[in-house]
Amino acid sequence: MRLPHRKGSIAPVEEAPFATVINAAGRRLLAAVSPAAAAAGLAPGMPLADALSFVPGLVTAAAEPAQDAAALRRLAEWCGRYSPWTAPDAPDGVKIEITGCAHLWGGEEALAADLITRLARQGITGHIAIADTLGAAWACARLAQTDRSTVIVPSAQTGIALAPLPVEGLRLDPATTQGLRRVGLKRIGDLYPMPRSALVCRFGEAVVWRLDQAQGDLPEPLSPLDETPTRRVRLSFAEPITDPADLALAAERLAADLVTRLAREGTGARRLVLTFYRVDGRVERLALGTARPSRDPRHLAALFKERLDTIDPGLGVEDAILAAFAVDPLAPEQIDFPGHGLSKLKGSLLVVPAKAEIEERLAPRSGPLGPSPDLVRGSRGGDGPKSKARAENEIGAGGVSTLLDRLGNRLGLAAVSRIEACESHIPERASVQVPANSRHPLPPPPRGREGFAHPRIKSGEQGADKPPRPIRLFDPPEPVEAAWLLPDDPPFRFTWRRRAYRIRHADGPERIAEEWWRQGMSNAVDAIRDYYRVEDEEGRRFWLFRAGLSGSGHPPRWYVHGVFA
Amino acid sequence: MSHDLSLTLREQVRRIERPIWAAHGVVPFGVAAIDSALPGGGLARGALHEILGAGGDEEDGALAAAFAASIVAGLASAEDGIVLWCLARLDLYEPGLAAHRLDPARLVMVRAARDTEILWAMEEGLHTLGVTAVVGEIGTLSDVASRRLQLAAEHSGATAFVLRRWRNGGQAARERALPNAAATRWRVAALSSQPIIAQFDAPIPPLPRGGEGWGEGMMPMTKRGGTPLTLPSPKGGRGFFLEPGIGHPRWRVELLRCRGGEPACWEVEIREGKMADATNSISLVGALADRPKAPVGSEAAASERIYRAG
Repeated sequence: MRLPHRKGSIAPVEEAPFATVINAAGRRLLAAVSPAAAAAGLAPGMPLADALSFVPGLVTAAAEPAQDAAALRRLAEWCGRYSPWTAPDAPDGVKIEITGCAHLWGGEEALAADLITRLARQGITGHIAIADTLGAAWACARLAQTDRSTVIVPSAQTGIALAPLPVEGLRLDPATTQGLRRVGLKRIGDLYPMPRSALVCRFGEAVVWRLDQAQGDLPEPLSPLDETPTRRVRLSFAEPITDPADLALAAERLAADLVTRLAREGTGARRLVLTFYRVDGRVERLALGTARPSRDPRHLAALFKERLDTIDPGLGVEDAILAAFAVDPLAPEQIDFPGHGLSKLKGSLLVVPAKAEIEERLAPRSGPLGPSPDLVRGSRGGDGPKSKARAENEIGAGGVSTLLDRLGNRLGLAAVSRIEACESHIPERASVQVPANSRHPLPPPPRGREGFAHPRIKSGEQGADKPPRPIRLFDPPEPVEAAWLLPDDPPFRFTWRRRAYRIRHADGPERIAEEWWRQGMSNAVDAIRDYYRVEDEEGRRFWLFRAGLSGSGHPPRWYVHGVFA
Repeated sequence: MSHDLSLTLREQVRRIERPIWAAHGVVPFGVAAIDSALPGGGLARGALHEILGAGGDEEDGALAAAFAASIVAGLASAEDGIVLWCLARLDLYEPGLAAHRLDPARLVMVRAARDTEILWAMEEGLHTLGVTAVVGEIGTLSDVASRRLQLAAEHSGATAFVLRRWRNGGQAARERALPNAAATRWRVAALSSQPIIAQFDAPIPPLPRGGEGWGEGMMPMTKRGGTPLTLPSPKGGRGFFLEPGIGHPRWRVELLRCRGGEPACWEVEIREGKMADATNSISLVGALADRPKAPVGSEAAASERIYRAG
């Protein structure tokens, strides 16, 4: 494993000594210093009064740690163009895992040179170290005594490279570092011959851990900033592009590139992120999901195209990366037969015949019973054009699932749903919202607290016996002011949305209590509802309920829960 | 040459003059009176239809939704496609829709906050193969937007329904009369239901204690084993009684505008379970049927015993 490490100083390079100042417990300390100020003997952590006595002309500004952290995070995101595994290393570094990535840039030196050049263009002076371990890279980037901005530690020479560095390179807390120095252990190499037990006894386990991590004897995983994608494809441009048409073209080419890889693995993308890396170091993203695994480049590109207008290319985009974050198995499918029907689309569509179909094609046509090539698609679902049409019309088939993707990506994936009946007495639970693409969305019936299944409600067969339900249900129920006569009576008048309704007919009550077999019920009197179906003078029908029982101390409250047709 | 040209032109003119229902056929209501008033004998497929509520229902859109649901249910099962229902607030209730025979498996709900997004979603749906009908609940429908929907529907053969749902009376008053390109415009209003005439062979059960305070309109019903036990009113007469609860829903269905047809008005009653014309769960009640006056509640009789909420 070779880990790069880059240390960037965010302060601008200026002629006059410059430092940022932070207020720490009432004292004003230097937070960061420019190279000129460092040359004059200033260092972070020094009191401002001392610094001014050294350098009277010191230019200062208030430090903004939150903005610095945000900028560092943006920088780490931007470094995603080199590798998907990046993370900010507060306060002044970015960690990039380049295992398996360097060859794409022509080697580690070339990658580092490219990074340095691009950082310089953004006004950032960077120090880059590439090493086998994170610890070694960290130490070399910050403490290596060299004029070059890039340190590349050859593989398997980590120990030699670390030996001359000061013990600060071990990422220990200052007290431990000071303790090591006090006993004369100033360089990392000084620790190599020391007996482990003595080090642990005196300085704690941290020293040994850090030493082992730096030398690669203990693993130190890098937790990436973002989720790492399953597959990603990159497109770099010779010149930065800004035209929306060019961006669309880039999306198309990336999608085409990605699907060939997905096809090889027999998967389809469910969640994709298209990232544009701008020349000014900013990153623009487009995320989208598909209702079912998709491997159609034109479909994916069309989904991105619809939202490309939200991308601000700024001064130009120099890189575009398309990453698939979630992939599901997608069986290879027959899209076309050469010489039949859709063959003019063949250039842009993927042609991967399923194995069975290849056999069909290779097998000699055995008289009238053999499948004719025109009906191969239909023959999966059944015979004849009728079943073929039905297969295409189902949710999940071509046209509709494409539509659901388009709707979901524009309006939000939660916006496209289906409603399903659910076995529950509680009206709000009787109709559940499920994602539009799921076929069997209902969870198994919940088990009771004692472990036995709850009594199943007979539904479906005796639909005629079920009490009528409103066509629109208000969630939450809307409170009304009602007047009624006897405790079990429906109201004869109620006021809802500042309008008075006089009730002419009423049915009820239908008592609905909490489902005792579910967990977390309140046992409150209010949980018992008496529902009435009422009709007003105009003939409008409402579903009212009374929460609570009269005589239980609190006066019952009335709500309207829905309207009937 | 000129002969060919005139033939071509004649064909073009014929296509332009072709009535709207001829292109994609119609879906009949199954109610002879309504179907006979509509050109082509039913509601034209591949067209835009507008459905309005009335009174307070302009806000809730319950009747309009039920009317649309009963039509698209037939369409979806006949054509084996899905129905796209675009709305701003997800308040449709599955058991209520199922009562209108709309299979929830064929229904895809699209929630969008703005009218423009709903219109976009409807148009996308109309362009998609496999979508039989598109229903959108919209407040503001401009002339241009309605024409786009109408053209999309004409092109694909899918049927579009616009349910007008207004936030308040002010918006309703502004929007109600604006013209648009819909092929038909319907208004569905609720009517007072008629008491169900039930025949009882059993002896009349006694009135409950304190029965003098019960108005006709407030006759209580108790549930026993899931079947409503109705208490017949003593005013119903021997053998036949008016069931005191809610009767079957009754609607006044108005055809306000119809391309190639005349405005008309019907009264329909929805009877679940025993429909002669079961396709759309609408059966016509004779518009001239003798309707008894709606019973009057007698809250004055016991006004001193009013419990008030809150």
